Amino acid sequence: MFLQQLINGISVGSVYALLAVGYALIYSLLNFTNFAHAITVTIAAFGCYWFQALITPNLPASLLAGILVAIVMGIFIELFAYRPLLVKKARRLYLMIVGLGVSILCENLMIIVFTGRVRVYPEGFPTDSINIFGASVGLIDLIILVVSVLALVCVELYIEKTRTGLAIRSSAFNLEATALMGVNTNRLILTVFIIAGLLAGIAGTLLGAKYTTYTSLGTYMTNKAFIAAVVGGLGSLPGAVLGALLLGITESFVSAYISTSFRDLFAYIILIVMLLIRPSGLMGKADGDKA
Amino acid sequence: MSYWTGIATQVGIYLIAVLGLSVLCGFTGMFSMGHAGFMAIGAYTSALLSIHLSMPIWVSVLCGTLLATLIGTLVSLPTLKLRDDYFLIVTLGVGEGIRLVIQNLADLTGGARGLTSIPGGVTIWGVLVIAVLAVVFIKLFLSTKFGRNCIAVREEELAAKSVGINIFRYKLLAMVISCALCGLAGGLLAHYLNYLTPTLFNMTKSEELIIPVILGGRGSLTGTIVAGLLLLPLPELLRFGSAQEWRMVIYGLLVVLVITFRPSGLMGNKELTLQNLKKFLAGFFLKNRGQAPDGKGDSV
Amino acid sequence: MSGQQAYALEITDVCKNFSGIQASKDINIRVKEGEIYGIIGPNGAGKTTLFNLITGVYAPTSGSIRFLGTEIAGKPTHEISQMGIARTFQNIRLFGDLTVYQNVLTAYQHNLTYSFLDGILRTKKFRQQEKKAEEVCLDVLRRIGLYDLRDQHASKLPYGQQRRLEIVRAIVTGAKLLLLDEPAAGMNEEESLELSQIIKDIRKDYHVTIVIIDHHMDVIMDVCEQITVINFGEMLTTGTAEEIQSNQAVIDAYLGVNDDAED
Repeated sequence: MFLQQLINGISVGSVYALLAVGYALIYSLLNFTNFAHAITVTIAAFGCYWFQALITPNLPASLLAGILVAIVMGIFIELFAYRPLLVKKARRLYLMIVGLGVSILCENLMIIVFTGRVRVYPEGFPTDSINIFGASVGLIDLIILVVSVLALVCVELYIEKTRTGLAIRSSAFNLEATALMGVNTNRLILTVFIIAGLLAGIAGTLLGAKYTTYTSLGTYMTNKAFIAAVVGGLGSLPGAVLGALLLGITESFVSAYISTSFRDLFAYIILIVMLLIRPSGLMGKADGDKA
Repeated sequence: MSYWTGIATQVGIYLIAVLGLSVLCGFTGMFSMGHAGFMAIGAYTSALLSIHLSMPIWVSVLCGTLLATLIGTLVSLPTLKLRDDYFLIVTLGVGEGIRLVIQNLADLTGGARGLTSIPGGVTIWGVLVIAVLAVVFIKLFLSTKFGRNCIAVREEELAAKSVGINIFRYKLLAMVISCALCGLAGGLLAHYLNYLTPTLFNMTKSEELIIPVILGGRGSLTGTIVAGLLLLPLPELLRFGSAQEWRMVIYGLLVVLVITFRPSGLMGNKELTLQNLKKFLAGFFLKNRGQAPDGKGDSV
Repeated sequence: MSGQQAYALEITDVCKNFSGIQASKDINIRVKEGEIYGIIGPNGAGKTTLFNLITGVYAPTSGSIRFLGTEIAGKPTHEISQMGIARTFQNIRLFGDLTVYQNVLTAYQHNLTYSFLDGILRTKKFRQQEKKAEEVCLDVLRRIGLYDLRDQHASKLPYGQQRRLEIVRAIVTGAKLLLLDEPAAGMNEEESLELSQIIKDIRKDYHVTIVIIDHHMDVIMDVCEQITVINFGEMLTTGTAEEIQSNQAVIDAYLGVNDDAED
């Protein structure tokens, strides 16, 4: 039971990590929270579903299709919602309100188009369980864990080893100075949104495959991921992963040993407690030394 | 009560909550996504007190208002010294959290099925008087140093600090006022509808409360009221097909457009007065330079 | 004790590090009451950091800052302001959506002592204090020459007027010490001359001590009795305008920077 819950928690946590890293990346560069992140997750899950329903029930192909849809959505959001404000150097608060506006708009549009029905992928992952040290673990949880970890490692390598990655890291330190050094920051920002969209796409399709697909899937999951990002320290990538794993494991144990209905409440309690004792998060840099 | 009086009463009640949010979001610049939750506290507290303790409703509504204020203020305390993202996500979490608690305390609150047979007694006239009083209160508040300091916090935090304004204190004040008005509105709603369900206070409701403030003008009381009067009846009027979803789609679109092209809202920080109206009409007909009234150039 | 009282501002051995980078090092400045004191240095020399340290935006890593004899290092910004230090900003920070008059009236807030209830109930105390506030604010606007623009939006004023408005806003707080951060930036020669006169008038009319940061020499040399030169976060020298102008270290520092700027 314990081991099973632990693996389950790590698996859920790894999906949170995909989303939390998306938040952290955008935050580290632009210093604002992308409240439209949820849309990319939901649309990926639906993209994957409709690809299977309409084109071919091939699972890998449909997953790729879903991820692609998420990336396109991420680009869309950056170009049409945020870019005009970024160009005007608008207040951070306005960026967040626009993000909320986009998420209200898109979520309701999806309810209209996809209806409020819950969808199950025609072709999902195997539902078998395997036995690890006496704990019965769902194969799907292991697949999710492996895919998520691979994705995170790839992103980490990209940021650590490539030229663009270097530019992203230096922009996180000082965006304006990086622009002065001749880096095209607009393209850099777009790249970050593409990476965030890619990760959200992976998370969305995996979640859709594990549970079901519904229109508030993204909002539900990204709220958790945001909490994870805050707990880890907004803007810190390792912090985001750490926070996500902690949250996933905690939730898994709370729903197993206390009550499922208090699982969601618990996440918010963690958030408030964290803000009270260490607002900069586990690995965040202290905020405020900027006049 | 006729259909139209019913709608008018509900609009009045929600307008009281919107007024609260206008102090918080419009004038102090803090965006909350959870004030439907504080409405819920006011509503359920007042309903339960009047059912179980047979309190007169004006006493129970007062208690609901106080509890909503207390809880709202306490949970927001840790975020008031942090950046506004934190405030937004914590209010969102608290709003959802309150709804979850209500849903899970089925023995007390009726859970998801709802709470019924709440004593009535809220009339359109009562609501109207309270709404007008709320408007007058905010109007008076805004022209004291307390109101001005809140606006200064919205405009430029560092400059506000540098003229001696304790930012924390005025954010707290705005939170107290907004939670009180939302709690009050919740209490009135309980005794008007005679039933309550947790879905009345979900995140969509929080969004609906804040949208008139964004669209009407972040610094304009009259703008917010006009936007509220136009938008608040729509949920009741548009009860067919997917009209509700389309409504939210349009809200979302309007929010994006307004923030992009006119971030201080349709009315900006202008108040709708006879004088301004005359000036506007004169400008409209004379249109000598064909200039837009004034798009706000916003810098950091 | 009496010796200490003569100083409006005493900065002693102040250092400030930002994650390993030393932005200010061993700063020692004494500003006498009623003095106009200049701090000059090239861009990035740490002048604004110094103001941020005095006004509590940053806490110094070490050292002491005393205002009229009271230690203020590390206190929150709003408390320092309430004690009587007001400032302007290099990158102007007005309440942009408000009018000129509203900007000034807001800044007067600490002198209004009525309670919340007084305000809502419009008691006599409220009415009297608000009336006084209006008189004071309009009077300062008149003296600094912004009276005719009082109903304009602050963000729509020309650059020079915005800088003036920041000065007005600082004055009405009732401050005893004004910190002016590059008040002449972006001004032409004529406007700078006018500004010099305004600064002298302010000292006379409001009995304040003034510290000015600038890298434009003309205003500083014209109005300041004492000048400190800083470069790379360290003090080069302190003296009168004549002493500074003939100091070799200062000339070197400025020439060096000019070379950089030309590149």
